[in-house]
Amino acid sequence: MSTNPLSLVFVAAKESAATTADRFGVALRRGSIEATIWERIGFYLALAITLVVSLFPIYVMVVTSVAPDFELYNPPPTLLPPLGAITAEHYVAIFDPETFPFVQYFTNSVVVSIVTSGLAVVVATFGGYSFARLDYRGRSAVKKLVLFVYLFGGILLVVPLFKIVVFLGMVDTLSSLMVTYLVFVLPLSLYMLGNYFEGIPKEIEEAALIDGYSRVETIFRVTLPLSMPGIVAVFLFAFVVAWNEFLFASIFLKSTANFTLPIGIVHLSLTFRQAWGQIMAASLATSVPIVVIFLYLEKYMIEGLTHGGVEG
Amino acid sequence: MSQNTLDRFDPRRIRSAYRGATIEQKEALLGVALVLPSLLLVATVIVYPLFFNVYLSLHRVPLQGAPIWNAGANFQWLLSNGEFWSSLWLTISFTLIAAVLSTVGGLAVTLLFRRAFPGRRLVRGLVLLPYVMPIVAIAFAWRWMFNPIYGVVPFVLGNLGFTELAQLSLLKSSKTALWTISLFEGWRYFPFAFLLIFARAQAIPNDVYEAAKIDGASKFAQFKDITLPELKYIVLTVLLLQIIWNFNRFADVWLISQEFEVLSVFTYETAFTTFRLGQAAAISVVLFLFLVVFVLLYVGVLMED
Repeated sequence: MSTNPLSLVFVAAKESAATTADRFGVALRRGSIEATIWERIGFYLALAITLVVSLFPIYVMVVTSVAPDFELYNPPPTLLPPLGAITAEHYVAIFDPETFPFVQYFTNSVVVSIVTSGLAVVVATFGGYSFARLDYRGRSAVKKLVLFVYLFGGILLVVPLFKIVVFLGMVDTLSSLMVTYLVFVLPLSLYMLGNYFEGIPKEIEEAALIDGYSRVETIFRVTLPLSMPGIVAVFLFAFVVAWNEFLFASIFLKSTANFTLPIGIVHLSLTFRQAWGQIMAASLATSVPIVVIFLYLEKYMIEGLTHGGVEG
Repeated sequence: MSQNTLDRFDPRRIRSAYRGATIEQKEALLGVALVLPSLLLVATVIVYPLFFNVYLSLHRVPLQGAPIWNAGANFQWLLSNGEFWSSLWLTISFTLIAAVLSTVGGLAVTLLFRRAFPGRRLVRGLVLLPYVMPIVAIAFAWRWMFNPIYGVVPFVLGNLGFTELAQLSLLKSSKTALWTISLFEGWRYFPFAFLLIFARAQAIPNDVYEAAKIDGASKFAQFKDITLPELKYIVLTVLLLQIIWNFNRFADVWLISQEFEVLSVFTYETAFTTFRLGQAAAISVVLFLFLVVFVLLYVGVLMED
């Protein structure tokens, strides 16, 4: 669960900001000028195949969520439902609390994700600043430990954590998930923020220190305002991890009233037969916040890195 | 705790020591104080459970009540269990096939994106979607596509004449699951490989290619002698990361097919379907040992360059 797209956007944005000039060079010199017509056809064909392969399952999800049942359960498979038959019935069904507690799952996921990412931002800001700016014995050992934890899969700790949660009487609580997720997002958050702080010129902070600010004042008045893009990125990264997590949610939660979206959708698939329209509608509704975050973040990160006056 | 150590934690003493400290000491103290919450969290939720897991793996663990020491019985059970060995082989095959698929896919798309074209940023965003979408959504979309009765994949296979394949439940049958689920993982994670490799490829200075072109190097020679050596390190890193994560991957596999028994699924079922927690702990100890080996490998590769 430590892998996450958003951290990579962060990396990619940094790289792309550094190589914009190079890209222009690529565009000018290696673009359409010298390519033969056949090379161009081959290129666009390959591009089209890449896009189709990447997007086809998502297209199927969208189509299925708006196709009526008689289209879905009669051959051939529905890829282009007749326009007149397109229906919102599956969406109506999942948002109707009488038939399916989707809204409840959605709310639970929002609560867990927001608390997790809020805590992650606070803890990782402290730790990341400590990594980047302050010198003390054992710092590199702590950094290595954090990196090692980054490679962990949840399955390695699922048995002891379950026993601990039972022992603490935290079974079927959302707080058990918040604490667990917080720790699993921590390694990458620490690294992202640590790198971000390192990118802020030391001189800016030193100027504030000379002006008579204490170290703590400097952090709050100078460093943190300059680091907003990095802090937002960490918040959203943690949000996405908490939003998607399945393993611990499936073990710690017992009553349907507490389910988060991923286990909620699994629950839906187990309770109803032939509910593919509803399942795809719920899947899409679950994806929308994540895709929105991703789109926003990609833009935000590149802007933050190029216009922020901060060399990454 | 002796009186002496108690004294050390006396707030008054800390405060007066803080006032008398040099700037370096104060900074060090602040550094430790700021990293402490992270450290405590990792210690209680990762490090302690890790040791607790080893303890559990040496006990018979009832759902309620205290664990009962049973020496190495759990490991004996594990090593003499055919299910474990077949699960281990399945995990290794799945891990490698999926890691190679996603890395090669990411490399191929990188080469495609080396060229500038209108709308490249938009297309890049779209190509990342398999990796960005929540796993539960993606897994159910694939399950629907592979549904033996209504799915589009068996339908197309049937029409192409693969009638035998079309009748199988491709994500569950032991004949095909390794390939279909590895394909799923490769598809899901190729954007991860693409992003990392692409970022590195963008950093190769263009002059190198110019020089090669002037010397008359073919496109293929440029790829073989410039692009590939420059990308070797990042490709290896991506491959190793994929291997590490695939080995412990649970949600993806479980959500797409409960019958694909890799070690993570084996652990989960042992622990939470049949409630043999001690034996499940023993499996995760084995998984952890593999992780340690992988990490040493990873460090070795990193150190080499």
